[in-house]
Amino acid sequence: MKLKYMTLVLLFTASIVFPCIQAEAAYTRETNYTYNFWGQDKRSIAAFELEDIIDGGSLGKVRMSSADDVFAAGERIFIVDSAESRVNVLDPEFNLITSIKLVRNKDNKIVVIGDNKQLMLNQPEGVFLSEKFNELYIADTGEERIIVLDGDKYYLKRIIEKPANMVGDTLFKPSKIVVDETGRILTVVQDGYEGILELDKNGSFSRYFGVNKPKVDIIDYFWRSFASDEQKKKMEKLFAPSFNNVDIDEEGFVYAVTYDDSAKDKVFRLNSKGENVLVEKGYFTVTGDMQYLENKDNEFIDIAVTDYGVYAVLDRNTGRIFIYNFDGFLINIFNKNGNLKGNLKEAGGIEWLDKKLIVTDRQLACMFVFQPTEFGRIVLEAEELYFKGKFNEAIKLFQKAIKLNSNYDLAYINIGKNHLLNDNYKEAMYYFKLGNSRSYYSQAYKYYRAIKLQENFGWLFAFIIITALLILYSEYRYNKKTA
Amino acid sequence: MGIISDVRYMFYVLFHPFDGFFEVRFRNKGNYALSAIIVLLYGIISIFDYQYRGFIINYSPPFYMNSIFIFTVAVFPILLFIISNWSITTLFNGNGKIKDIFIVIAYSLVPKLVFDFIRTLLSNVIILDEVFILNSIVNIGTIWFFFLLFCGLCVTHEYTVFTNIVTLIATFVAAVIIIFLVMLYFILMGKIVGFAAAVFSEVFQRGIGG
Repeated sequence: MKLKYMTLVLLFTASIVFPCIQAEAAYTRETNYTYNFWGQDKRSIAAFELEDIIDGGSLGKVRMSSADDVFAAGERIFIVDSAESRVNVLDPEFNLITSIKLVRNKDNKIVVIGDNKQLMLNQPEGVFLSEKFNELYIADTGEERIIVLDGDKYYLKRIIEKPANMVGDTLFKPSKIVVDETGRILTVVQDGYEGILELDKNGSFSRYFGVNKPKVDIIDYFWRSFASDEQKKKMEKLFAPSFNNVDIDEEGFVYAVTYDDSAKDKVFRLNSKGENVLVEKGYFTVTGDMQYLENKDNEFIDIAVTDYGVYAVLDRNTGRIFIYNFDGFLINIFNKNGNLKGNLKEAGGIEWLDKKLIVTDRQLACMFVFQPTEFGRIVLEAEELYFKGKFNEAIKLFQKAIKLNSNYDLAYINIGKNHLLNDNYKEAMYYFKLGNSRSYYSQAYKYYRAIKLQENFGWLFAFIIITALLILYSEYRYNKKTA
Repeated sequence: MGIISDVRYMFYVLFHPFDGFFEVRFRNKGNYALSAIIVLLYGIISIFDYQYRGFIINYSPPFYMNSIFIFTVAVFPILLFIISNWSITTLFNGNGKIKDIFIVIAYSLVPKLVFDFIRTLLSNVIILDEVFILNSIVNIGTIWFFFLLFCGLCVTHEYTVFTNIVTLIATFVAAVIIIFLVMLYFILMGKIVGFAAAVFSEVFQRGIGG
């Protein structure tokens, strides 16, 4: 008996001394939040937690001085180290497969170009693996070229230099790169105000892709309308903001981000015509933090898209990662610039590895691997099921998600939608009210009202008849009086 | 019963503003208690509207609900208008006294009050497609309110339409000046009180406390 009490006391003290012995939330930081309907920042439980740090030490002999772009496909992870001019290839367990710096040809000989120069990468900034063509595209920014390697053996296939038929003022300095299913190459040139550079499969110029509209400044517009032509010449020219990074989803839509503070939109989903078709049905537009709460704007440096429409954007200004679903609804915000383990110094790139997130840091020259927590996993799985049309399974997960995090408003709306489809109008209204979705509430209420009217039609009918009779009677009395 | 007949007469005024306000002004058919009740009611209905407007068109954050603040915001412009209009019209040869202006604005408020209340009630049983009906209901009330106010001021001050418009513009300017003076007064008073408090605490702590 005494022993039992002793163990109890011991357990109690242990739980006070070591309060954070939990199954999953070992590395959780208190930076997780989201915005509610009223634009207030609300604590949200962590959706992601730090799992692993990959830096120079874990790559063996290969030195790692920076980490810029990161790309994961075909069971491999590609990290661009532009300071060392290397592209490091890792397997999903983060073991080094190979490191590309000197480019070799099919016979494993070093390629020589020009006057006895070895073909070597020079400050590359972007990498992309096209699984369809089995080709690895490296944007070799320092040498103003794109190097195409074989996807498995990494031998040289071709070099794309500046196309002869290229028009416009943009320099051919490819920085970030994606290739779609048809083989067209889309590459971002930093500070290129004409749009994303689009090359065809053979590397000849086809067009500038995507339009990035600048913000309209009313005061500026007012003065410009008065200015003479000479004054206008002296004024600063308004250039369209440039795109800074791209990604591509399963359906071939190009996702782009910009951190130019003169840009109207910050995140883009470009269709084949180059128009922005990003779905923004969330409480707010996809612009990161509420601007009145922050003195600094978010500067999105990279975007990563999943197959099921969830995308993560990385802000280099605050080091935050914003996760949105396909509808543009904010799921979670986490991480920050700082000195704690997992915090960023200078954000580089972001990429999904299945449901994990890889974030690179230029200054720390390392790669952080974030794994979803229980809540994050449920949310991502629910989003995936919902996106693929498996509503009933998704709803079960959304209900679980609410139990874990009652500030996750999206779940209320989705559960409400499911009730609406199943004709449970009263429950649907309850959930839409919790999710602050007035348009869906209105839809549910429309049917609910019709049912209530039908049920109480007798009373309504009686009321109308009585009112009509009263009006008739008063008219009769009035006429009798005046007559 | 005085007040019942006054209420009846108020409704007569709503539909016959020129005749009605003439009688109110020159034959003492108005009721000041009734006017005060109307203004109070207007403030209370504003609070009611904040809380009980139907969910579909209610964008007021429930956690910021502050009934005293809402009441003040609703009633303060009315009092401000009365004071600034009176101070202008006395200069512009207007014949209305401040209590006449009070009755005019209170009686004119009735349609706005009624239609706003109808909007609040109906908003609980509408869907998003029918919101325009509510907007038109509110607009009817507001236009009616402005029309009554305009007529009432014309009659009360014995103005032509043109002079009335000029005095209304001047009223707006006067209201801005009044707000400026009020703010100035409060800031200065705050400084004086702060100074007195500082002197008091200084004397108390050093002189007596040693």
